[in-house]
Amino acid sequence: MAEKKDIEINSRADTIGLMDMDVRPYPVTPVVSYDEVKPVYEKRKALEFCEWAEANLKFEKRYSKDESLSHIRVLDIGLWRLGHKFATSLFGEAGAECVSIEPPGGDPLRKLTPFGREEYYLENRDTGEKCGMEFVAETVNTHCVTLDVETEEGQEIFKRMAGISDIVIDGMPPGYMDNLGIGYRQLKEANPKMIYIWVGVNGQWGPWKDKQSKFGQWELAPFGSCADSWVHNTGLAQDLLPRGKGGDPTRSGVWLEDYTAGGQAFLNAAAALYWRDELGNSGQMIEVTGSETLLDMLDFDITWYGFNASIKGRSGGWDPNLNQYAWNPCKDGYMMIGGQTDKLWYNIGFCLERDYHQFGRLIHEDPFLKEVGARNALHALIKVYSVTTRWLRDQCRVEAEAKLLEYQLAAGPVMFIDEVAEFPHFKYRPWMYVQETDYGPLLIASSPSSYQVQAPFRCKWMGRDLGFDNYEIYMKWCGIDQNRVNEFKQKGVM
Amino acid sequence: MAKDPRVTRIEDLPGPKSQGEMEEMKMPYEEYCKGIFDVGNEHSKPTALKGLKWLSCTMYIFTPHSVANLAELGAQVVKIEMPRMGDAMRHTSPFNECYLYPLHDTRPTTGTGLGFTNANPNKYFMTMDYHIPEMREHFYSLVRKFDGLTELYRPGTMDKWQLGYRQLTEINPRFIYVWGGGFGYGPKIFGGSYDILGQAHAGLASITGMHEYMGGHCTKQTNWVIDWQSGNLITCSILAAIHHRRKTGLGTMIEFSQVQVPTRMSGYSFPMYGKFGIVRQRWGNWDTQLSVHGIILCGKSDFPDADNPQDKFCARYVMVSAFQDADFKELCAITGTNNLYEKYKSHNERCEGEAQVEIYTALEKWAEDKTRSEVAKTLQDAGLLAEPVRNDREAYESPHFRERGTVRWLDDPLFGDMLVHCGYSCGHMEKTPRRINWHWRPVGADNKKVYQDWLGIPQSQIQEWYDKVWI
Repeated sequence: MAEKKDIEINSRADTIGLMDMDVRPYPVTPVVSYDEVKPVYEKRKALEFCEWAEANLKFEKRYSKDESLSHIRVLDIGLWRLGHKFATSLFGEAGAECVSIEPPGGDPLRKLTPFGREEYYLENRDTGEKCGMEFVAETVNTHCVTLDVETEEGQEIFKRMAGISDIVIDGMPPGYMDNLGIGYRQLKEANPKMIYIWVGVNGQWGPWKDKQSKFGQWELAPFGSCADSWVHNTGLAQDLLPRGKGGDPTRSGVWLEDYTAGGQAFLNAAAALYWRDELGNSGQMIEVTGSETLLDMLDFDITWYGFNASIKGRSGGWDPNLNQYAWNPCKDGYMMIGGQTDKLWYNIGFCLERDYHQFGRLIHEDPFLKEVGARNALHALIKVYSVTTRWLRDQCRVEAEAKLLEYQLAAGPVMFIDEVAEFPHFKYRPWMYVQETDYGPLLIASSPSSYQVQAPFRCKWMGRDLGFDNYEIYMKWCGIDQNRVNEFKQKGVM
Repeated sequence: MAKDPRVTRIEDLPGPKSQGEMEEMKMPYEEYCKGIFDVGNEHSKPTALKGLKWLSCTMYIFTPHSVANLAELGAQVVKIEMPRMGDAMRHTSPFNECYLYPLHDTRPTTGTGLGFTNANPNKYFMTMDYHIPEMREHFYSLVRKFDGLTELYRPGTMDKWQLGYRQLTEINPRFIYVWGGGFGYGPKIFGGSYDILGQAHAGLASITGMHEYMGGHCTKQTNWVIDWQSGNLITCSILAAIHHRRKTGLGTMIEFSQVQVPTRMSGYSFPMYGKFGIVRQRWGNWDTQLSVHGIILCGKSDFPDADNPQDKFCARYVMVSAFQDADFKELCAITGTNNLYEKYKSHNERCEGEAQVEIYTALEKWAEDKTRSEVAKTLQDAGLLAEPVRNDREAYESPHFRERGTVRWLDDPLFGDMLVHCGYSCGHMEKTPRRINWHWRPVGADNKKVYQDWLGIPQSQIQEWYDKVWI
């Protein structure tokens, strides 16, 4: 039991520390034990396979296994955005030696904090240095060094580091590195096997290439998703909610395009590495942008425009292509139900009919709704979801989920962050866990690639103080010793 | 180096070696990029994953996309579908509007819906009912020839059919076996999953959409983002596994749960909940960490006379970004809100919730009598960052995506003219560009190629299996 204390809260600042992971245990509810999971496996007669899977894929065994890219060196430079950072983190999780270069002043992302609240900075327990949560969360297994590449000496050092890197990731504005004489076309001469990858919002060339304001402010997410129609198509339609009050185009809650660009950056670079080592014996330049990687994910939307000039509109929690496939309001929130093929479609009905007898008569017996494709007509969606919501309004999320899962349907509630963190399956895997970091214990999301027989991805450390690895990396990569690093520091180069 | 140290050779000197190289170095950077990516000539260059061969027992978007990435990069991908019906995604089309015919040679009046687009380019399409024992040996024959397999059945299903990792690794120890699904081992192991479930279940929905204060609800990302992005991240795992196999010669099994992906992409959400007990909420079109950096509603549409309601009513939104001090000061000066600059001089002050409400309300008030393009142009002319929120038509007509070849027409070998916005948009590669050869083919279109040419099955036998609906 936690010790009972009297506290006085006069301002938000007084609440800091009260919820820290040392004080408030996580998880609040206990983690499901294997004995509780075993009957689930047995019921499907898959116990033997599931036991094998747990023994061979288990998250907890990740450190006892090999790393796939431990032979690769990655050099990353960039500010503000998560795209180049996410790509670097993926390389880091796969075992590559990653070095991130920041200017001596640091990446401004270190200073960003929700609603500008400095009390939510994370504090390094050893040094007291503070850092924003987003920076820490998205800097995985990355060595942090400082270097001012705008100085001549900085450029020399950068060239030497790029000369021995397999991958260089550039998250700076278009042409910035090239102007300094350390871009792809200058570096490739010394290191023709280098893969150089630029990650940005809209592009380093073309009419809408990444811009800066006249004061030098960069374009950040969601400029990419505004350009390619992603934002326009997301949100509730104005006939569901009034415009200006929720019925508007909506951006993603996260800096989505950065994650998609980062993922494709890793993917293309890994393919280019394969080609270099197996076939081509040469590096190359790659360019990945947030707006275009989202364009790849626009389902068929632009193709559809080409087909009959349809411009997709917003449909909130529904989907114009699948029925059922939506979330709708229920007693205590929103419940997602999916089932499109006949088997699943009728299963939904069988489940709902137990409480709500009219469902079958209204939906299953409607001749129009008997054909899979026809169900996607707009009036069919409206009818089916209206009747389904009639059932949902009497159900809590947990009840509805339990009932639907009995019929082996894809169903789940819309959950808030705390509910996600306490969801039994997620804790069992675990999809988020407490990692001991320099900033104390942190609740972090695990890598989805951590469940592998041979070489799972893994997080070793997160975040780092500004220039934490200067001594180690400059010695190891360039042979620059402590004294010279200190000299460079005084000159402002590092 | 030259053998004789007294000899100076141009190759040993730094700098350009030829007239051509010199011109390349002097070229404006944009021209240079345009030149090396050489849009439109992708097919004259090699592919990155030439020689890799991948099997796909997949459906919907998530797992098919994970192998489509390989196919776009040049791997030979064979999609095995169930006879006659094919992938469930073939039977879906937006509002049941558009289909391409035929679905299969026995079903000429049924088509494949546009829902199938983008997740299946460049693949070969064969059919096989691999769960019947008669076909097992033929499935194994394919496994001997291929580098890996992606499947999406409920855990243990392929194992039960003797086609799981444990059996296939005996046949081909270098085999990379990928399971992609919703949950993986654990209490909800048999829970089915879709993109929308991932969005709902793992937190993304709860932080996307308008705040309750604005009258809003949780909102789905309109597209199947978790399917596509999980597909990308599986491909990342596959390529890492291939590099591991190059070093060790070992195959592997990857278990990948798509519902986990939004959790990994949620930035500071979980650290903040863990450390401060604060549950991150929706913040609509604004930004929790930057201000001003959000989308505002303008009073007038850009296209009041357009027929399409998306143009007519919705061309009213502008993304405005001026979070640095100088930018914010300029923004306030232009919009007549200098008092706000006086009030919120530091970034952290103007990032506070109440400050954001005040600032964006003032900006929307200023934009009340203006069109979207007036607002964007006024701010751009002042040197600030502002862009209209564009729709599908504008993305199609965009000179940017057109010049970069990321939206282009493809004369598909089977279906003719089709607009493509996938593949080329995943990233430009100088020497091994990604490419789209065809959108898709009907169910079982490549059966003869696979069964006769690769497996040596006589045509009479193929016909017999076909009649029995084994293939």
